[in-house]
Amino acid sequence: MPLLLSRRAFLLTGAALGGTALVAAVGGVGYLALVDVDGLDGYVDGDRAVLNAFLTIHEDGRVVVNVPRTEMGQGIHTGLAMVVAEELDIPFDDRISVEFPVEPLPAYASWFNVLQQRPEEASGPVVWIGRRVLGLLGFIATGASASTMALWYPMRLAGAAARQMLLAAGAARLGVPVNQLTTADGFVRHEASGQSLSYGELAREASVLPPPNDPPLKPASDWRLIGRSQPRVDLPAKIRGEPVFGMDVVQPGLLYASIRHAPVFGAQVARVVNEAEVRTVAGVRDVAIIDGRQVAVVAESWWRAEQAAQRLDIEWAQTDGDGINSAEMSARLQAALGSDAPYENINDGDVEASIANSSMSVIEKTYEVPFLTHACMEPMNATVIVREDGTAEAWVPSQSPLGVRTGVQRGTEWGSVEPTSITCNITMNGGAFGRRGDLDVAAQAAFLATRHRGRPVKLIWSREEDVGRGLYRSHAAARLRAVLGPDGLPSAYDALVAAQSVIESVAGRNLPFNPGPDGDRLTVEGGDKLHYAIPNRRIRSQHVASHVPIGLWRSNGFSFNTFFTESFIDECALAAGRDPLDYRRALLRNSPRHLTVLNRVAEMAGWGSAMAPGRGRGIAIEECYRSVVAQVAEVTVGEDGVVTVDRVFCAIDVGMVINPDAVIAQMEGGIAFGVTAALMSSITLESGAVVESNFHDFPMLRLANAPEIEVTIVDSGLPPGGAGEPGIVPIAGAIANALQAATGRRIRSLPLTTTETIAERRTRTVLPTSAV
Amino acid sequence: MTAFTINGRVVDVDAAQDTPLLWVIREHLQLTGTKFGCGIAQCGACTVHIDGAPTRSCVTWLEDVAGREVTTIEGLSPDASHPLQKAWIDEQVPQCGYCQSGQLMQAAALLESNPNPTREQIIEHMDGNICRCGTYVRVISAIQRAAREA
Repeated sequence: MPLLLSRRAFLLTGAALGGTALVAAVGGVGYLALVDVDGLDGYVDGDRAVLNAFLTIHEDGRVVVNVPRTEMGQGIHTGLAMVVAEELDIPFDDRISVEFPVEPLPAYASWFNVLQQRPEEASGPVVWIGRRVLGLLGFIATGASASTMALWYPMRLAGAAARQMLLAAGAARLGVPVNQLTTADGFVRHEASGQSLSYGELAREASVLPPPNDPPLKPASDWRLIGRSQPRVDLPAKIRGEPVFGMDVVQPGLLYASIRHAPVFGAQVARVVNEAEVRTVAGVRDVAIIDGRQVAVVAESWWRAEQAAQRLDIEWAQTDGDGINSAEMSARLQAALGSDAPYENINDGDVEASIANSSMSVIEKTYEVPFLTHACMEPMNATVIVREDGTAEAWVPSQSPLGVRTGVQRGTEWGSVEPTSITCNITMNGGAFGRRGDLDVAAQAAFLATRHRGRPVKLIWSREEDVGRGLYRSHAAARLRAVLGPDGLPSAYDALVAAQSVIESVAGRNLPFNPGPDGDRLTVEGGDKLHYAIPNRRIRSQHVASHVPIGLWRSNGFSFNTFFTESFIDECALAAGRDPLDYRRALLRNSPRHLTVLNRVAEMAGWGSAMAPGRGRGIAIEECYRSVVAQVAEVTVGEDGVVTVDRVFCAIDVGMVINPDAVIAQMEGGIAFGVTAALMSSITLESGAVVESNFHDFPMLRLANAPEIEVTIVDSGLPPGGAGEPGIVPIAGAIANALQAATGRRIRSLPLTTTETIAERRTRTVLPTSAV
Repeated sequence: MTAFTINGRVVDVDAAQDTPLLWVIREHLQLTGTKFGCGIAQCGACTVHIDGAPTRSCVTWLEDVAGREVTTIEGLSPDASHPLQKAWIDEQVPQCGYCQSGQLMQAAALLESNPNPTREQIIEHMDGNICRCGTYVRVISAIQRAAREA
């Protein structure tokens, strides 16, 4: 496939020579800048015409949309195909298919995630350089709920430009002025003569025409697809068992591998005691020590490899982590909350003076959450081949082709092989939640592949390896302080968050540089409550080191900080004798967007209506990923003390909505994910190792305990925000607040309770949560 | 060699008798719609029918299916026309989709024996199938829809 072609080279050269129009084209926000220059020129390949980096049209009218983001259940392939189809003017039916492109074109780069500038607004030299650098690095990643924000505009341009090129091709073919032509349903039409030509007929001629810089985009009033729920393009295959997840990759001559990591993170392999014996097990081809830290068995089937791996007798070297248990980890968090020199993330006004000068008593509360794992339904896996000719190819259900590429480079380096090329195929994936951006599995599989040149090796982790040897959501604690003013609202708010830095841990494994833990915004996100009108505000963080590897985890810092802060705000409301909803309304008086969402969810939940004894209702709100989300949870505490989340109401302002049903599904799924974290699961340590190993001891929400969920999308008319993570964010706080309402007691650590403790704590009949 | 029927086709598999049916299906027969989730019958991703009964194939040994009839997601219907498959599309159930073969096979066995299950019966029957994406509310709706429209 041609990568660097003349038009792009010309434009870049022109820009370098200082042509101002060209600089504008390259540095601006039009089609040429966002799609063409960083993509590829159109070309014809057999019966298909490649119109640009995002779009291919076949002679028979089939349309292939390239979506350079991993489909992991969030529906991104559908949403972004919709925006292309909208501008291209084609029906959204089974003639459209979506592929994850193999070529890492700069147009696909996830620069939005780094630069935090919407493509439709981004301009200026910093953005220009950032885009160039991240594009050339091939930094493509799916995460931070950013895919729609990053690509909805460039991909609309891609569709609109292709439509213009098809119109131009039609005008040439029919010999009529282009302004006499229209498009509809995949055809270019000439009303006057009644002639029409299909896109399939015109695509090859269109693909080699010069593209327009600023193709007109449809006004929102003309949208047929955007904002109207469309069926997901990936579902017809998913109900037939057809999609090829990483786990399902089949290649000729496939070998299978199973792996054992050190029980205590970071321990080196001292010795494989019975290596010779394991090598003699039927079907076993290899026993390999990877990077001195893991032991893998390679066999002709995965079951054989796993059986042999279960027989491995490995001696692990001692480490500093050997004696660490959960109590010690918790003590470290608490000690960090006493730190006299934490990193200062935000300091507005004068918190210390406000607290010192207040005649009111200080409200001070401490909260804590445990480590958690992702437990994606598809266990970790990667398939890699290093061919005799030196080329390498990988098939990985990854969130990042750059991660796969870097992983294969690292793994082959361990095997002293330097591949001449690395092709990365991103497969369908069975849940990711932040876990699949890491290079670890690809590196391990690549190393094994260097020992079996010419045969692909598929490495699959057992569920026990996945749960017990993962990359965890950090444990975390916070000490929150506030003093209330005469109106009962906080006049000063002071947060200190202690956690292990996810940025430092992820960078240490994946990047050639490490920004370190200070200023890790993922530690404090959700802790600042910037949308609340509080005049004096400070948030500080203290990094807590440990031997446990930390990974990105769906909603990261929001997953704990919003639990902390929304619990704390409820405690302040209680101290002020105010209703929690009313209290938040007052705090949001300057934030109409938040207020609208808050009021909507309260209305949905019938806030203030009476609830039966043993039941309670709690509310929480957060701004995250450029969306605003509020939830009300209704809980029941049974006579036996068992907590059930009966219903959850969710209002979300996600800005412009592409596919409403997909947003609703993400809220439903996020709530289920968050209920699991709030009520059910934790990762605990004993003698340095994780105790939990599979779904029996890392339980998650099942159907019998799944709450009913009602979602409303609030349309603010703002540009799109993120939808993949916000659904999780408020739920733990909402449940904790509901438990307070149900039982009169406040629970400040997750998981929220065991049956015993809540039974002990439930002491009185519960009143309605509000008199509003 | 162990002979059994899978999706109406008789196969003769050359694998050790103590190989889990799951890996026979996935690796020997290369029917990859049936998924590995936990390996200890805790999640239901590997659910297939054996003589019509929903069964966790990860803890079923090859020798247990000799001479029996196994149905996987690939054999649930010839053209995705099973009422549940249609309802799964109508309700847009799957997210990542990894657990959905198991969900569908588990649900199909329910409707086979009880064409009009109550909500409670659905919950009881489906409670062993984990979905990490959290599609539960739609799983219930889709089974109810399939029962209604079948």
